[in-house]
Amino acid sequence: MFTTKTEQQLTTEYLSQGYIIRPVADIEALNWIRQQFVDIVSEALGINNDIDPEVLLNQIHERVPVTELNNFRLKIIRGFNAIDGFREHYYQVARPFLDTIVGNELAMQLRVNLSIQFPHDDSSLLPVHADTWAGDSPYEVVVWLPIVNCYGTKAMYLLPPAKAAELNQNFSKSAGQNSEELYHAISNDVKWLNVNYGEVLVFDQALPHGNRINSESETRWSMNCRFKGVFTPYGDKKLGEFFEPIILRAATQTGMSYKLPGI
Amino acid sequence: MKKKVRGYVFSRSFMGERVPQHVQNIVIRDYCEKNELQFLLSASEYAMEGCHLILKLVIEELQNIDGIAAYSLFQLPCDDAEREAIYSQIIAFGKTLHFCVEGLSIKNESDCQRVENIWRVKKVMANTDLGTK
Repeated sequence: MFTTKTEQQLTTEYLSQGYIIRPVADIEALNWIRQQFVDIVSEALGINNDIDPEVLLNQIHERVPVTELNNFRLKIIRGFNAIDGFREHYYQVARPFLDTIVGNELAMQLRVNLSIQFPHDDSSLLPVHADTWAGDSPYEVVVWLPIVNCYGTKAMYLLPPAKAAELNQNFSKSAGQNSEELYHAISNDVKWLNVNYGEVLVFDQALPHGNRINSESETRWSMNCRFKGVFTPYGDKKLGEFFEPIILRAATQTGMSYKLPGI
Repeated sequence: MKKKVRGYVFSRSFMGERVPQHVQNIVIRDYCEKNELQFLLSASEYAMEGCHLILKLVIEELQNIDGIAAYSLFQLPCDDAEREAIYSQIIAFGKTLHFCVEGLSIKNESDCQRVENIWRVKKVMANTDLGTK
């Protein structure tokens, strides 16, 4: 492969672990993103936006009842996805890592997702799954971006590639009767991924992953968004409905427009 | 006052997809509610392959409403020039063409370019599949 040493290191790490965690490539973009959250959340709650972002976000469970959590989350999602340039800032945060792991002609999810996980709340759990099990293309990666420090059970877990391969071999035996039994079958092998504010996680969504009840004292806020090579196969998340091209190079643009001379 | 949009659904498959008309209408209605549009009864395209006569009629009758709410952008003609002609008409009339399942819309040149990028990649990718089946 004609890759640089840095690219080789990143590639090897991603392939062996199933993920990479790095300081964000553009801290200004991340700070801009977090400020958008503070503005939207402040407006939704009817409070002043000069509050410390860490306090506001980490302690949001003190201001929003758990019964209102999903409506609140949807309101925030609609809010930031409606902001011009939001997705471009999101991309800039992970751009060099995506260039190496995925490629530099990319399709990006049309709407960025948000997870808000209150302490001790069991209503926002994501049972163990691989996105590919629900029809996603194995060519996709997830850029997972926290806007608070995520650690312990406030973070997410991932089953590393070697263990995932073993699971695939014995899936029907390991899966048991439900996803909870599946989790217990792999719980000693999963890796919990601590990702602080200022860092970004890029992971292989074809590997089993999920979260558990957040037993920490703070609320988790993390976004996730899928990227893939524009010209790699699409799964159930289709071009147009779910993905759109965000980078098309000049030669691709001329190629897509090319017509042989008429005779 | 809410802007009025005419629904536009297909009675045939498009780009390898087949969606029942009532499901197309559910998606359009939901999009209209979320975007505060008044949904006018959908026009259903003829089933003949490559036919867009109903779409052209709906465009010609746009003067009294604000736009069209199509189920999908892939219900536009496959031919680049025919699509371009539709974009030009929509922009010239000062109307909006919505694509509900994608959540996208066209009302200026920049919007058209965004939709065209999706269309052109889709055409290049039309014959690929995951190979996981």
